[in-house]
Amino acid sequence: MSAAAGRPVAIHQFIATLNPHDATGTHALKLREALRAAGWRSEIFAEAIHDDLAAEAHKHWTYPEHAAEGDVAVYQFTTSSAVAGYLAERGLPLILDFHNYTGPEYFAGWEPQSVRRATAAAEELARLAPRARLGLAKSPFSEATLRRAGCRHITVVPVLADYGRVTASPDPRVAAELARLRAAGGADILFVGRVVPSKRQHDLVKALWAYRRLYDPRARLHLVGGTASYEYSKSLHGFIADLGLAAAVRVTGEVSDAALAAHFEVADVYLSLSAHEGFGVPLVEAMVAGVPVVTRGAGAVADTVADAALVLAAGDHAYVAAALHRACTDERLRGILRQAGRLRSRRIAADAAPRIVGAIERAVAEAA
Amino acid sequence: MDHTDTDATPTGAHGAPEDPKAYVEQVMAEIAEEVRLRRSSGDLPPKLERELDELFLAHSPVAGRGGDLGEALRMVDAATFIDPVVPVESERAAGQFVKKGMRSLLLWYVGWVTHQMSQSASAVSRALHIVDERLTELERRVEVQRVPDAGVIEFPSLHGPDSWWVEPAVASLAKAPGRVLHAACGDGWLVRRIVAAGGDAYGVDPRPRQVDVPGSGPSDLREAAVVDHLRAVAPAALGGIVLSATVEGMAGGERAQLLAAVGTRLAPGGTFVVHSVSRTSWDAADAPAETDLAPGRPLRPEAWCRLLEDSGYQAEARQGPGGNDFLVVATRDAVTAPYAPSGR
Repeated sequence: MSAAAGRPVAIHQFIATLNPHDATGTHALKLREALRAAGWRSEIFAEAIHDDLAAEAHKHWTYPEHAAEGDVAVYQFTTSSAVAGYLAERGLPLILDFHNYTGPEYFAGWEPQSVRRATAAAEELARLAPRARLGLAKSPFSEATLRRAGCRHITVVPVLADYGRVTASPDPRVAAELARLRAAGGADILFVGRVVPSKRQHDLVKALWAYRRLYDPRARLHLVGGTASYEYSKSLHGFIADLGLAAAVRVTGEVSDAALAAHFEVADVYLSLSAHEGFGVPLVEAMVAGVPVVTRGAGAVADTVADAALVLAAGDHAYVAAALHRACTDERLRGILRQAGRLRSRRIAADAAPRIVGAIERAVAEAA
Repeated sequence: MDHTDTDATPTGAHGAPEDPKAYVEQVMAEIAEEVRLRRSSGDLPPKLERELDELFLAHSPVAGRGGDLGEALRMVDAATFIDPVVPVESERAAGQFVKKGMRSLLLWYVGWVTHQMSQSASAVSRALHIVDERLTELERRVEVQRVPDAGVIEFPSLHGPDSWWVEPAVASLAKAPGRVLHAACGDGWLVRRIVAAGGDAYGVDPRPRQVDVPGSGPSDLREAAVVDHLRAVAPAALGGIVLSATVEGMAGGERAQLLAAVGTRLAPGGTFVVHSVSRTSWDAADAPAETDLAPGRPLRPEAWCRLLEDSGYQAEARQGPGGNDFLVVATRDAVTAPYAPSGR
């Protein structure tokens, strides 16, 4: 029951896939919590639901069993999904919570299936954006994408994330393993993200190769995150082996929150050379954890980090290696980046949920 | 790793700015200088970046094993037969006997299924071989009509540090929001000029031995064709792109590919600079012999402006002395859809 509207209205969320460890899944769960705390009836409907979250959501096609007059749909847009067509056909008042999507060009030559899906995502966005009453963009970069797609009313609000997970108790087994590696000397460079072409983990490997050759022959790179591209992952492993870096690059796959915390605890620097980011939650996590950030300013990255990171104009390995060297050894720079990072992350996280709920409530009130 | 803030207060090391933002800016400038010194000292030869890219692409399905159809077909052929006789080795003592027993029990069933799967795969493989044969024949016929790439065509009197267009080109790049790329950079004369004016620039040139000229100074120069290079650059990563001695002899298709790559790699607010010789220079008796061999002819400045404005740029052309050449400077506020040739 919404006091603001004066009649029963539910604000339900729709999402392609509800996963426990990804940014969109976490955002959806936290938004539901915030909506319920504000007095709204709110459920999550998904095309696919991770087993661990089976009790948290419903299949999207069961929505009619929960439907009521005056319902509003918030669609968590990240990729192509049957949910988009479902919402377009039902004609519910729509709020587009836009996390951006990775364009087909990033998968071309790697994953034909992903190319098709990304192309379909662009078409679905073009279909839904003009009829959305409100677009919630995660960055000015995404705002521009949403506007080009035809969305007329847009508010920029941050992602709701569990940033505290990176400063929680680290997994003791992982921490011990990382400590053992660290005892051999050399810097620990961290990147967190799915192993996919758009994240350009192979550029990180090139940068490590140059950094070891020029500055720190014992440096290590930790690539944390599951893979969504078998071909890219396979090529990455072959590349690592060709460069003789098999012992220096750890590709961990998906890890628990506690294992993630162990990686942030040991990292000297967080390095991202991603070619596309709709927001970049791990960048903020690095800032929360007090790890200096070196990054390419692609997509929304420059908006997310603002002045709290070394934002590189180019991604070639020599340039990145030199930046890594400064970020790992210049204590004054490290101090500045840590302090700026903590301030920036606090600013991003501050009142995020009330701001989003407020924006949604205003849109609902205007529509009523 | 200690992540405390104890060292956060800017203490102002000798000669370093007190203001944290100013210090970070100084660090960025020092990083750029460090890279230039490293490159000029030979620590990182300009070709190395490309060699690393090629090493990585050798593993990819597009440029590696799967990129060659014949090789891919051999992989298909090798995987066509599905062996129903599963291995029975085991680390446990009784495991081998258990597995062997299960295999004997199930072989009649598994063998029947795998036989059909192998037959199906063989049929697909045969169809692919027929496609391969027809494609090979098509390629042979197309090759006869192939339009060659234009390549770099330099006019010595118009391409050099003293040319009239260098100053306005450098000035137009003063506020480029990122690195500037010069295509057909030669020994890096324009790259050094942009850097001297306070910009951050690098160059590519497809001509062998152009970029490794001894004594050409500390510049970031790479041996690569501009389109190939742009495809390897991240979207919206460049603040400026300068094309000289590059576009004049291009056929329409090659030019469209280049403009599409420029369109996606140029950052919002970036500057696109094109220098081209005029048709008068192109047809002159003392023009380089490559002009006769090129598949295309220079566009007029009006055509360049029209082409770029159709792709979302604001373009302005400036004629050179005697009508020998011209300069087009184009800017664009937002990244738009890649260039697509219109019907005009």
